[in-house]
Amino acid sequence: MPKAARYHANSVVYFKGDMNDRVYILKSGKVSLNYNDIETGQEIHDIINTGEFFGVKSALGRYPREETAVVLSDASMVSFSVPEFEQLVLKNTRIIMKMLKVFSNQLRRMHKQVRNLISEGKDGLEPEEGLFRIGQYYLNSQKYHQSLYAFRRYITYYPSGKYASEATTHMEEAEKALQGGGAPASKAGGGNSARNPAAQEELSDTAKSYYNAVSLFSQDNYQGALEEFRKIVQDNNSDEYVAKSHFEIGRCYLGLEQYEKCVQHYTQMIKHYPQHPDLRDALLYVGSCHEKLGNSAKATGFYNKVLSMSSENEVIYRKAKRALRELEGAK
Amino acid sequence: MNVDLSMFERFAVIFQPGDIVFCEYEPGDNFYLIQSGRVQIVKILGDIEKNIDILQPGEIFGEMAILEEAPRSATAVAIDKVKALEFNRENFEVLMKGNPQIALKLLKLFTKRIYDQKRRFMILTLSNIEARVADVFLMLAENQTTEDPDQDQRTFSTNVEDIAHWAGMSPVECKKILNHFAGQRRVEIYENKIIVKNINDFQRFVTSQRNKQKSE
Repeated sequence: MPKAARYHANSVVYFKGDMNDRVYILKSGKVSLNYNDIETGQEIHDIINTGEFFGVKSALGRYPREETAVVLSDASMVSFSVPEFEQLVLKNTRIIMKMLKVFSNQLRRMHKQVRNLISEGKDGLEPEEGLFRIGQYYLNSQKYHQSLYAFRRYITYYPSGKYASEATTHMEEAEKALQGGGAPASKAGGGNSARNPAAQEELSDTAKSYYNAVSLFSQDNYQGALEEFRKIVQDNNSDEYVAKSHFEIGRCYLGLEQYEKCVQHYTQMIKHYPQHPDLRDALLYVGSCHEKLGNSAKATGFYNKVLSMSSENEVIYRKAKRALRELEGAK
Repeated sequence: MNVDLSMFERFAVIFQPGDIVFCEYEPGDNFYLIQSGRVQIVKILGDIEKNIDILQPGEIFGEMAILEEAPRSATAVAIDKVKALEFNRENFEVLMKGNPQIALKLLKLFTKRIYDQKRRFMILTLSNIEARVADVFLMLAENQTTEDPDQDQRTFSTNVEDIAHWAGMSPVECKKILNHFAGQRRVEIYENKIIVKNINDFQRFVTSQRNKQKSE
């Protein structure tokens, strides 16, 4: 049962270091939480206002009190056991939400403080280098799927990063290793092991030129990339890479600021590949081409189309939403 | 905790064994609740892949993403075929209203994380580097629940790299200190465990260093 209690001024509700699993809410009066700042050692007094909870963290986390709760002027409060407190907040999610915000801010501050102390050492890598190193680690330990994931992410976030061309080279290696059917295929032995090695060679050549082109693109060499992607489409050796290249060709036109060509190209592509995996991205690009060409009505149409094809929690949804907002703002 | 999650089915994502859910250093905007299968949290340090944790169904990971799109601090890999609910800041409110149990769970997770970070910070504030190493063992001892609390000798399944990580120093520097302790017969170092001969001795050492620092 929640307990009501009254405290006189200058009394203490709990001491720092106490093990005590009750959560308090202040009804009237004044309470101060006293503790030393862990960074400076300075004594801090946090005043609790009426209606506020205190003692939540140590009670929920089941660790000793980190502050002493001193009553400044006669106070009344209600205390809850942890299960009682849980029952209460489950019925009132607003409280949880508020606490999550407070706690997450504290946690963010803690992370920063720890990082500041650590960075004096040499522990931290820049995210860009860190991500690339992870790809390398997985490649070296022959975990090609994982390696591909890390390098793909690298290229997504740092398309013209300092390791972009190395990453694309490594992606080729990893793809080759996967397609070459490294361990599992050789385990199978005889049977179909002699199956058309030439075709496999062809495929990895296509992959090679594809990643070559991606690398050019990442260095902002759109014309060079465009020619490479076109060649892949012409040679027509791999359905997968042809489809991928079609998408990239559109992006090259965008990079070259040839918006009409970009719209034409994607319109063709969508007709030919109604199920293209990058369909929504293509529509988004078409929208932004129309925007650049000054046709905001058409642009809005395409952005809305993307919205209607995505759910709220997808990145593409947010992208389209942002594009729409910016378009509105520009008017 | 028994929670009906059927209404969140649309947030479900599937990972095959070996799939990376997210990679250390990439910006994070989702967090996950495991419904089935296990997820391993690893950190890659140079040429070594270090296991941080193995998470079971019902556990949450990647939760820092509800704060900000900060880089991930570790890599999450599916061990089995994993089904997880994927949440982000946008759909978090929906989750909250539909299932406050998860929010409560998250709240508890945060209290633990805050405590752990604070404890870690306390180690790093020690200016005496030997005391820092000793305090790492005290922290590890606090998290040991199985052993007899009155026992002086404690065994930790850890290694020099781990200790160095927590103490915020290079493995070389840490190794030197541990060897020094070993020379004093305060610790015994094995390949995958370190024995502290008298944890109370370390406790006294760290406390006296803290008091000394405070009075300075």
